[in-house]
Amino acid sequence: MNFARYLGRKALWYLAALIIALLLNFILPRLIPGNPVDAIVSQLSRGGGTGGDQLKAIHENYMREFGLDKPLWEQFLVYLGQLAQGDLGTSFAQFPASVNTLVAAALPWSIAIQLPAILVGWVLGNILGAIAAFKGGWFDRGAFLPSLFLSSMPPYCLAILLLYIVGVKLQILPIGGAYSFGLSPELSLEFFGDAITYFWLPFWSIVLIFLGGQAVGMRSMAIYENGSDYVNYGRGLGLRDSKIVRYIFRNAMLPQITGLALSISGMIAGALITELVFSYPGIGTLLFNAISQVDYPVIQAITLFITLAVLGANFLMEILYGIIDPRIRASQSGDR
Amino acid sequence: MSRLVNAEHLRASYHTPDGREVTAVDGVSVHIDEGEVLGIAGESGSGKSTLGAILSLTARPPLYVDSGSLEIDGQTQALDGSSKIPRTWRGSVVSLLPQGAMNSISPTMRVRDLVVDVMRAHNRSVTKDEALDRARDRLASLDLPTRVLDAYPHQLSGGMKQRTVTIISTLLNPRLLIADEPTSALDVTSQKALIDMLLQMLEQKIMSGVIFITHDLPVLRTVSNRIAVMYAGKIVEVGDAEELTTAPRHPYSAALLSSVLVPEPAYRKMRVYGIPGAPPNLAHPPSGCRFHPRCGLVMDECHTEEPPHVGDQLRFSKCFWALKNPGQSVPLKAVTASSLSETDTVVEDDDDTTSRPDDEPSEVPA
Repeated sequence: MNFARYLGRKALWYLAALIIALLLNFILPRLIPGNPVDAIVSQLSRGGGTGGDQLKAIHENYMREFGLDKPLWEQFLVYLGQLAQGDLGTSFAQFPASVNTLVAAALPWSIAIQLPAILVGWVLGNILGAIAAFKGGWFDRGAFLPSLFLSSMPPYCLAILLLYIVGVKLQILPIGGAYSFGLSPELSLEFFGDAITYFWLPFWSIVLIFLGGQAVGMRSMAIYENGSDYVNYGRGLGLRDSKIVRYIFRNAMLPQITGLALSISGMIAGALITELVFSYPGIGTLLFNAISQVDYPVIQAITLFITLAVLGANFLMEILYGIIDPRIRASQSGDR
Repeated sequence: MSRLVNAEHLRASYHTPDGREVTAVDGVSVHIDEGEVLGIAGESGSGKSTLGAILSLTARPPLYVDSGSLEIDGQTQALDGSSKIPRTWRGSVVSLLPQGAMNSISPTMRVRDLVVDVMRAHNRSVTKDEALDRARDRLASLDLPTRVLDAYPHQLSGGMKQRTVTIISTLLNPRLLIADEPTSALDVTSQKALIDMLLQMLEQKIMSGVIFITHDLPVLRTVSNRIAVMYAGKIVEVGDAEELTTAPRHPYSAALLSSVLVPEPAYRKMRVYGIPGAPPNLAHPPSGCRFHPRCGLVMDECHTEEPPHVGDQLRFSKCFWALKNPGQSVPLKAVTASSLSETDTVVEDDDDTTSRPDDEPSEVPA
């Protein structure tokens, strides 16, 4: 099938993009001014009691341990070699913790908060936008203005507002972290019941922002489609309204799916600001700390995950587009 | 022949955002006999398509039907919103064949999906295969390839798409088919193919009557039994197609005919006079006869009084001149003569290409 061949060709391009991204992921963090080992050693010297020679020995030891004494190209090869074995390296700042463990500890939190938030926001936003477009009048105005307001609000504003009103003033929900002090993550009902209270605030702050943007987009698409010829013709043929709405949905859906794919791929990067505001132990917080500590392996690992997610989501989107819109499928497989 | 359709006192208006009402169809009655094709002619903005929307029961805001009733086969339906129009009337009693089939099928669905949806919208117990079989039979009986069912709309040519849409519009054997400019976007060969197909369907009694709306008079002459001429929201003349085109009894019909070029030797040296002026803005229609500002035969009473109905239901003219000259046809030159000195070599087609004389833009969609 032509479409399969098209996808195969596309896959090669995505592979090339991945290799270039790997190189950039490796080089860019190393352009951050300051040597991570300098930072660690100066931390040690602050306590006093260690002489200059000792510090120098410690410095050299760390440089050797992290492999930073080797030339850049050799470091890259070592990195690729480790990567091939699924090893993301060892964190500098939290030595000797492996990056694999750090990411594995943070990623579930980010996904747990964002995947439901994005899906809920997407579904609710699209339904709200479509209904607003059909009903028009007061319902439209009542739904459209708040949506516009939410979508144009910076994420941290809403996060801080929610935090202040619900967490600080009303004291209904806890204001930071992912679970109560003293508990440790485990698969038990007790832990879940505790974690869920920490979950709601960051969850809703993401949902509301995302919902607003989707509703605004869907509303304008649906209004446009509602005036199209096939809607009028469908009515003239006596089709049920629900049927016609389904036609409209399918056509109005394309840009919305792009939005969904991009958000899901962006999810790996963590809702950085939301996580920081609520001190949520997700990928966003991990990345933020890694950058401030010039922790090359951790930065590299997270940017690699982001790259993979973006490429993967785009590839999926391309397949999905082909399924939804025959015209795209035709042009992709070179029919016309 | 028995009567198929009586549509009485149709009145509909567009409600503009600034609260005005523009009456696009004003007191129109339409009568069609069994097996007949009624052509409706007129310039852009004369209310033809609005009339089509009312009769096909697809009027929707900003168009509101103010009054009127539709009687088909003895079943009567009020159109003014006082009683709810049953959904299943659309498609099975009256059906719409829309203008420009290009976008009439959702671009993301196959033709067969629409066929199934249409059949099942009227009878839930119809299976997918039964619906498709019916469409296949229909296509085969009209010598069209059945593979169009598997196509997406973008894979069909313009002419094929229009014929496919025609098949879908008539799947449920509607009593009345309202064809709104079905040939306007087609080349001449496809126009002929479509018209032949419509006439063939009428012969096979797939539908019992057709209202054919177009601004293309030569097409109307070949397809219709009778022609109704619309001007500024009213029907000004109705008559047998041949008779109306050769011996019009309303000055506007005559003017419309004189602005059509026909590629025949006799027309070689003829002058195309066109119609001076432009159609009125329906937000402020002229008093009396709405054509009087452009009419060459205008009389005093035309300015103030509503023109009389001269003739019967199936053949009439609404004109003071026709009242005073019974049985006579309007002399073509007399219609436009008065204003020829100002606009000497007017050659315009019967579509509205000139700008409106008043500054106010028209609020009425064509």
